[in-house]
Amino acid sequence: MLIHWTLGLAASLPFLSALVLGVRVLSGGSRPSERFAFSVVEGGLSLSLLATTAVALQFGGVLGPAVGGEVSFGNWLQLGSYFIPAVALVDTAAVALALLGAVLTLLVARFSRTYLHKDPGFHRFFVLLALFASGVQFVAFAGALDVMFAGWELIGISSAMFIGFFHERDEPVRSSLRTFATYRLCDAGFLMAMVAVHELLGTTRLAELPRVAGLPSWEVELIAGLLLLAAMGKSAMLPFSGWLPRAMEGPTPSSALFYGGISIHMGLFLLLRVSPLLAAAPATEVVGVIVGLGTALYASAVARTHTDAKGALAHATLAQVGLILAEICLGFTTLATVHLTCHALLRVFQFLRAPNTIHDAHRIGHGAIAHAAATEAPTTGVLWRYGVSLHRLRVEELLDRLVVPVLALARRLDRLDRGLRRAFDRGAR
Amino acid sequence: MPLHVDAVPTAILLLAMVPLWLPVLLTRRRVPVDPAAAVRAQTRRATLILALLLGLVTLSPNGAFSYLTLGFALLWQALGTRVMGRGIAATLIGSALAAAVTAGALALQWPVLAFAASTVAIALRVGVFPLHSGIVALAERSPATLTQVFGATLVLVLEHLRFTDHIPFAYDVAPWLVRFGALVTLLPGLMALVQPDLRGYLRTATAMHGGMILAALGAAGRGHEAAALMVMLTTTFALGGLGLSIASLEARVGPVSLVARGGRVQAFPRLAAAFALFAAAGVAMPGTAGFIADDLMLHALWGESVGSTVMIILGAAALAIASLRAYAAAFLGPAVSSLAPDLNRRERTVTTALVVILVILGFIPGVLLTPADLFLNASDAP
Repeated sequence: MLIHWTLGLAASLPFLSALVLGVRVLSGGSRPSERFAFSVVEGGLSLSLLATTAVALQFGGVLGPAVGGEVSFGNWLQLGSYFIPAVALVDTAAVALALLGAVLTLLVARFSRTYLHKDPGFHRFFVLLALFASGVQFVAFAGALDVMFAGWELIGISSAMFIGFFHERDEPVRSSLRTFATYRLCDAGFLMAMVAVHELLGTTRLAELPRVAGLPSWEVELIAGLLLLAAMGKSAMLPFSGWLPRAMEGPTPSSALFYGGISIHMGLFLLLRVSPLLAAAPATEVVGVIVGLGTALYASAVARTHTDAKGALAHATLAQVGLILAEICLGFTTLATVHLTCHALLRVFQFLRAPNTIHDAHRIGHGAIAHAAATEAPTTGVLWRYGVSLHRLRVEELLDRLVVPVLALARRLDRLDRGLRRAFDRGAR
Repeated sequence: MPLHVDAVPTAILLLAMVPLWLPVLLTRRRVPVDPAAAVRAQTRRATLILALLLGLVTLSPNGAFSYLTLGFALLWQALGTRVMGRGIAATLIGSALAAAVTAGALALQWPVLAFAASTVAIALRVGVFPLHSGIVALAERSPATLTQVFGATLVLVLEHLRFTDHIPFAYDVAPWLVRFGALVTLLPGLMALVQPDLRGYLRTATAMHGGMILAALGAAGRGHEAAALMVMLTTTFALGGLGLSIASLEARVGPVSLVARGGRVQAFPRLAAAFALFAAAGVAMPGTAGFIADDLMLHALWGESVGSTVMIILGAAALAIASLRAYAAAFLGPAVSSLAPDLNRRERTVTTALVVILVILGFIPGVLLTPADLFLNASDAP
């Protein structure tokens, strides 16, 4: 019974704190103080961390007999034989991600209180942070794809809102739209896979996924491929990496949490969760390894030529994320879990320190670069590689070219529709 | 004619009353929320008569009588929209006549005609392409009246699921309805991406949801009635709320272009939040009825046509992107000041009511859907 309460509180308390703060801000009267906003969200996040710790202790057998596996809360909805299960899955990966998410979110919240002091978006920042924290707990403990998708979407929406945080400028808003578009299109893969799993296995519970071994191989490959697509979008794998440098438009603390710590690793966590399905889909595993290693190479090259600190750091992060994807697809799931956790901790620290990096570079970095420039004359090959990396392989332009005909079709359809409606109006007169 | 009180139709009737009466509440302000609609459709007397007729519809256990009364109710509502344009009135009158034809067909035991006429009546009122001209014109000219139209359509969909959906023809035609519905979901979804103004966005969002409803009605022919009901409920409250938000915004600042950034979030934070919530509910945000509706519908459609399911998912993704674009253009950007106030107390009440319904149906959908599923599956053929 304790496990039900602690799981429920871990996921719902951040959401409730976002709700309380959001309603208070919108309910009129004077704007609540920064202290109030921070206290509400910090309270929710702290209690959520406490609940997550309690889950971890129960999982480890410290608070009585060890609790693990599926924890059922009944059904979210049941209509005849169809049901959406409200089920959690408590295992090592879930506990690791939930603890990581809860600790990092609380740390970033404390950091942001000073960082965003007197910023007009202070309250908005903390509402979004709490929503994100809730989404992470949902994803971490989800025992069914439907529940995981709910958390997945919360993370996606809060991520897009954070990127457009400084919306007075045009660029953050455009970057936010681009990121959201990438997320939504790749999430279509998640949705299709979810529906397909339900239809083929009769349930979306993760514990039942090993049963896919009994399905025809092409069906398993298709579902695994769709989930890989969703993971590639969320984790900025090639060819969807274009949104990552643009995502640096958001406040530094949110960049640290999302693109250094948690959100960028969510795609990998999804693949860890569905690893039984992935293991039954060798072709998808091969694709995953190629994409992961390709992204690692690409990101390493781009990180070396990027001209801003956060962008370079984002690509350095992406290189490791690519490697973790390859590890998962090669079947090294334990190694991937450890790699993911350590990497997230390191990157959050580096992102939070990013503003100081510029100061450091002025003191020590420029001397080293100037020395290298004076002693090494670049060859044509080096210059070519430099140029290609600087332009990020022109991946974004390639994707934009694919979008242009879709928008042209939409405009043509719209013109046709307007013509039809004009004719209808004339007929009605 | 004996009347019979059932829990499910009564609950749906009560839910339908919300979008029906909310615009009436709003027009009691000194400046009506939607001047085009203030003339006739939103008067208290007209709405009261409509509500009474709809009450009679849901109380009757006889399909022919229900549809006949519904025909009168829809005709009454249609006549109130004449001032907004003949095209709009013609569409709504056409829908009322189709309901009357359904009544006749049910009385004469012609189930195929009844099913076809009832489907046409719904298609006209939810803006299914190519029958969408009237209803999307209404979305452009008077979003508040569109909200009222959705309220009455909710009752129409309930009656369709009760009386005309359980026939072999509905079963046979289901895959075609699903495929066509999916196609006319995807196309307006794509069109939403290139709209130059906020009303264009509402117009395409309406047409896109119309396609979803048609597809869901198709799936209902094969036993997925609850999915169809949930899709209609989401459309009613999410699009209804979106329509009211847009009407409120335009009453303050005039037509809103999506080409440049409006920067209105600081002047109208509550309006911005309301718009964002309704738009998010319309594109299946978790925690709202839209999430459950999408989940149910996709599972229902997969069995009929995998390709259609993919089209609907892509259409919904396109609308989600268009919704964020619309929000960004209307509310984000360099702050502009405005002398007009943010949502007033009455508008806040209306918005809160709609949001609460969407959230309750999102978190505990079983409260309504479980009994509705049992009730609709137990309904006999006419």
